[in-house]
Amino acid sequence: MNVVEFRLTSLRQFSAILCVIILARTSANADESRDAMMFLSSYCVDCHQGEDAESGFRLDRVGSEFDLRGEVKEWKIVLGRVRDHTMPPQDSDEPTPSEREAFVEFLRNRMIAAIAETGPQPGPARLRRLNRTEYANTVRDLLGIHVSVGHALPADGAGGEGFDNASETLFISPIYAEKYMEAADSALRHALRDPDSRNQILHVRPTDDRLPHDAARFVLERFLPRAFRRPVSKQEVDDYVWLFQKAFDEDPSYENAVRFALQAAMVSPKFLMLFEEANETNEPVLITQHEMASRLSYFLWNSMPDDELMRLANDGKLHDPEVLQEQVARMLFSRIDRRGLRRSAKVRDFSENFVEQWLGTRALGREFKPDPSVVPRYSSELEGGLKYEPVFFFEEIFAENRSLLNFIDSDFTYANRAVARHYRIRGEFREQPKRVDLKPEHHRGGLLTMGAVLAISSHPYRTSPVLRGKWILETMLGTPPPPPPPDVPTLEESGEEDESASLRDKLKIHRSAAACATCHRMIDPLGFGLDNYDIVGQWRTKHQGTEIDASGELPDGTRFEGPEQLKEQLMKRKDQFIRHFTAKTLGYALSRGLTEQDDYVVEQVATVLAENDYKSQTLISEIVKSVPFRYKSPAVNPVPTSNAESSIQATSEATERGFER
Amino acid sequence: MIHNSSRPKYARHPVFLDDLPRGRWPISRRTLLRGAGVALALPWLEAMTSTASSQSPENSSDDSPTRMAALFVPNGVRQDMWTPQGEGTEFELSPTLMPLQSLKSKILVLSNLWNQASNVGDGHYVKCSGFLTCTTINKSLGIDLNCNGRSMDQVAADHTESITPLRSLELGIDPVSTGVDTNVGYTRVYGSHIAWNGPRSPLAKELQPRSVFDRLVRASKPSKASWRERLMLDRVMDDAKELNRRLGSSDRQRMDEYLQSIRSIEKRLDKQSDASASKWHPRSDVDPSMRPPEENPHEHEDHVRLMMDMIALAFQTDTTRVCTFMFGNAVSGRNFSFLDGVSGGHHDISHHESKESKLKQYQLINQWHIEQYAYLLGKLDSMKEGEGSVLDHSMILYGSGLRDGNSHNPRNLPIVVGGKGGGRIQSGQHLRFSGDTPLANLYASLLSAFGTGHEQFADSTGLLPGMLTES
Repeated sequence: MNVVEFRLTSLRQFSAILCVIILARTSANADESRDAMMFLSSYCVDCHQGEDAESGFRLDRVGSEFDLRGEVKEWKIVLGRVRDHTMPPQDSDEPTPSEREAFVEFLRNRMIAAIAETGPQPGPARLRRLNRTEYANTVRDLLGIHVSVGHALPADGAGGEGFDNASETLFISPIYAEKYMEAADSALRHALRDPDSRNQILHVRPTDDRLPHDAARFVLERFLPRAFRRPVSKQEVDDYVWLFQKAFDEDPSYENAVRFALQAAMVSPKFLMLFEEANETNEPVLITQHEMASRLSYFLWNSMPDDELMRLANDGKLHDPEVLQEQVARMLFSRIDRRGLRRSAKVRDFSENFVEQWLGTRALGREFKPDPSVVPRYSSELEGGLKYEPVFFFEEIFAENRSLLNFIDSDFTYANRAVARHYRIRGEFREQPKRVDLKPEHHRGGLLTMGAVLAISSHPYRTSPVLRGKWILETMLGTPPPPPPPDVPTLEESGEEDESASLRDKLKIHRSAAACATCHRMIDPLGFGLDNYDIVGQWRTKHQGTEIDASGELPDGTRFEGPEQLKEQLMKRKDQFIRHFTAKTLGYALSRGLTEQDDYVVEQVATVLAENDYKSQTLISEIVKSVPFRYKSPAVNPVPTSNAESSIQATSEATERGFER
Repeated sequence: MIHNSSRPKYARHPVFLDDLPRGRWPISRRTLLRGAGVALALPWLEAMTSTASSQSPENSSDDSPTRMAALFVPNGVRQDMWTPQGEGTEFELSPTLMPLQSLKSKILVLSNLWNQASNVGDGHYVKCSGFLTCTTINKSLGIDLNCNGRSMDQVAADHTESITPLRSLELGIDPVSTGVDTNVGYTRVYGSHIAWNGPRSPLAKELQPRSVFDRLVRASKPSKASWRERLMLDRVMDDAKELNRRLGSSDRQRMDEYLQSIRSIEKRLDKQSDASASKWHPRSDVDPSMRPPEENPHEHEDHVRLMMDMIALAFQTDTTRVCTFMFGNAVSGRNFSFLDGVSGGHHDISHHESKESKLKQYQLINQWHIEQYAYLLGKLDSMKEGEGSVLDHSMILYGSGLRDGNSHNPRNLPIVVGGKGGGRIQSGQHLRFSGDTPLANLYASLLSAFGTGHEQFADSTGLLPGMLTES
C-alpha cells in the first residue's frame, strides 16, 4: 500500500513539474505566436475561411491567443500537412523552408502545452471480453493443451489504433454464449484425454478417506484463481463445489462432474472478461496487482499471467519499476538456436498479432491473393515465409533489445527456403524461416522491402505506386492521406493494359490537377521508390520490356532514386516514425483508442527513446511504467441514454420478462 | 441414405436454372469432388420433402409461416445492365438479372429507391452498416461506434423470437475486415456488418456452414441434458450479476450483452424442455448426412452455395424466420478471376471509370451474384410447403448499399425481392417509383407483410405503392 500512495503523490508532482517545464519552453515569446499568425494569414486563410472554407476547415476562428484546447486533433492534421509540404498546395504561394520549420515547431510545442495542462490521464478501469486470439491462448495455457479452440468463435473487428484487442469494438453477440459453452466443452475433453494435462487439472482424486466433493474442492481451489486471474473468495469456491456436487449426485462420475464445474468456470464472465474493479474515488488510482499482471500478460503474450507474474502480484511487487523492467525482459525473451531458427516463445503471439495488424500483412492470403496469371509460382510455402518474415524480424528486435530504427532499414531479415529463392539469397534453407545477414546485392532491409508488405500494397495483378506510397504514409509515418474527393476518377487505377512507364505519365497528369496534386505529389514519389519490386516483392529492373524508373521528387524538392535512398529519406523522419510507432504500441498495450492525453505520454516516451538509442525494450518498459498503463480513472457517471438507446432497453426489458419463470 | 443410382447428373460448371429439372440445382463439381461434400449435396431435397409432408400435421398453406432474409452484396452494380426494360408485369429482365428468368413471376425488381441517411460520409462503410438501418452511422474508429438505429431484420426478429428456436441467423463469407480505415476515419467493423440489434450492437456473422448446420440441429432437437446446461447458466448468470454490481454504471452495457447472450440459450432450453407448452416443432427433419465438411470450401462459389443451403434449411425446418447474409464485406477486394473473362479484385473493378474492359468484368461479377441468389430462390421454390413452396412464404431481399461502384451513390439502389411473402407480395413486377423514394419504405412494407404490425421504419414516409396485396 505504501508503494501505491508514494506513486500517487509522485504522479501529481510529476505532472506539475512537467507543466512548468513546458510552459517555460512555450511561453518563450510572443513573437513566435505572431509569426505563426502571420504564417496562417499569408499561406492558409485565403482558402480556409468562411462558410465555404476548403475541407470545411476554418482558420478565421483562431484567436490571437492561439488557443488549441479542444482542437488538438485538428491541429495535429494541420501540422502533418504543413510539415509534409502537402499544404499549402503547389499552385499557391509557398513559405520558405525556415518559415515552414518554425511554424511546425511552434505548433508542436503549443500542442504539447495544450495537452500538458491536464497532464497524463489514465483511461477507465478495463472491461472487455478476451478477443479470439486471447481466448484461444488463455484456454491453451489454462489447460496445458496444444490445440486452438479459437476458430469456433467469430473473428473480431478492430477499433482505436487498428487492433482487434480494442475494448470499444469487442462486442458480444447472442451466439457467443453458445460458442463459449461448446469451446470449453471440447477443450476440457481434449485436456482430460492428455495424460499430462489430466494430472495437472485433476491433481486430487477422491480416496477412501477423501470425499469426492473435498477432492473437487482442491481441484477448484487451484483452478479458479488461474481461470479468474486473481485470488478467489471462499464463497466463489463454494459456488463451484456446489455445482460439482449437483452434477455428481445425478451422475456419480468424479471426472464428469469436475469437468462440468470447470466448464461452468470457463463460461463465466469472470473468465471471459478482462475485468477491473471500478475506481470509486475522485482521482486516478493504481490498478491492483492482479490487474497489472493481466495487463502485462495480455500486452506481451496475448494470454493469461503465468505463475511468476501471479506470484509477484500476490507479493505486491508489480508496481516496482525494477521488477517491471526485469519482467519486461523476461516476457520478451525468445531464443535463437545455432541454425538461426527462433525457438517457440510466448512473445511470438505479441509479434504476430501486433505486426500483422500494424502492417496489414494479415490480409496476405485473405483479402489479398495475387492473381495466379501474374504470379504463377506462388506457393503456400512462399506465402507462409513472407507472412512470418516480419513476425520473426519484429520478435528479434524486441527479444534482443535492438534499435527500433531497424524497421526503417536493417542488415538482417528472416527467410525460409521459398523466400530465400524469391529474394535470391544463397544458403541452406528449410521451410521454417531462419535469420539471414543481408548484403547490398539482396536489395533488402527493413520493413519496406519485405515481400508481404510489398504484396498487400499492390493490386492482385499489378503493383501500385499509389497504394505503396499511401502505405508508407499511413503505416510508417502515421499520416494517412485523406480519401480522394468524391467523383474524381482514380486515374491510377486505369486498367490492366497499363505499363509502368505510361502509368508514370498518367500520374503526372493526375498530379497536375489541383484537386489531386495536394496529396499525390507526396504519395506517388514514395511509391515509385519501390517500383523495383513486383507485386509479391521480387526484385526487378525491367517490367514488360521497360526499364524501371524508381526515382522520385518529394514536395520539398528532395530527389531520390530507388529503395536505398527512399529509406534514407525515411531515416530523416525517424522521430516522426518513432512517435507513430510509440502511439501504435501504446494503443495496443492499453487495448483502446488513444486520447489527447495519451499523445502526451507518446511525446514523453519518444523523447526517452531518442535518448536511449531507440532501444526496443526501453519502449516497452516506458509504456508499462506509464500513467495510463498503471492507473485507472474515476468511474464516470452514467451517460444519459439517447432515444435510440431507449428502444434497446425496451427490448432488453422484454427479454428480462421472458426470462422470468 | 439415397442410393447411388438416384443421384442427379452434375454439370461441370454451375448451370442456369432452366437447364435442370426443378429442385436439382447442383453445387459445382468441385465441391462434390471434395470428399465430405459429396454426402452433403445429394439426398437433400428428396429427404427433406418426404419428411416435411409426413411430419407436419398443420402443413396447409394457411399456417405456413412467413420468412424474411436480406442478402447484401458489396460494391454496387453496373447500372446500364441492371435495370429491366418496361414496368409492371410487362418487363424484360436485364442481362444481369437474366439468371432469374425461370423465377420471374416470383420476384419483384424495385427501381428508384434511395437511402438518404447514407448519402454522407465515405463511399462504403456508411452505405453498408446503414443498408438495413436507414440511419447515418457515427464516423468513428471505434470509441463512438454507433449505427444510431436498428436493422430491419432485427425488428422483424422481435416479432418471431418467441416462436422459433433461433431468433435470427447472421451469415457471411468474409471474416470481419482487419484494422481501421484511417483514410476515411471509420473502423472496418462498419463494413463487416449489416445486422444491428442496437445502436452499438452489430451482430457477428457465422462463416462456417458446418457450425451453422450444427446450430440448427441443436436448436431444433429436444435436449434431455438441459438441466445440466441450465444449472451451468444459472451459475454464469449469477457471476455476471455479481460483476455488474461492481462495475461503473456506464460499463454495464457490455455485461448486459453477455447476459442477453446467456438468456438466449435459456429461452431455447425453455422451449425445448417443455415441449407441451411450446407450439413450435420443426416443419421437417434434418438429414444428418447433409452436414457440411469441417473445413470451409476453398472455392468461393462452393462456400456461398453451402451458406445458401443453410439458409434454405433454416427456413424449411422453421428453426428461424429471419436471416441476413453478406456476400462480402464492404470494399471487398475478392479476386474474381475464377470467372471466365474476369481478372482482378471486386472493388478495384467496381471503380470502372466507364472503361468498357472493366465494365464488362463488373457486370460478370454482378451476374455471378445474381446466379447465387437465383440458386437460393430456386432451392426454396423446390421445397414444397402447403399449396406452394417455401419461397412462396418467404421474402428474400437482395441488394447493395450503393448503385454504381464508381460514384458510390446511394440513389436508385439495385434491389430485388424474391418470394411472395405468403401471398402478401404482388410479385412478378418491375416497379419504378418516383425519384428518391426512401428505401425505408420498402422495409416498412416488408415488416408489414411479415406481420409485425409496423407500417413505419426509420425515415420511411409510407408503404411502397403497388407492392403489397391488401391484407
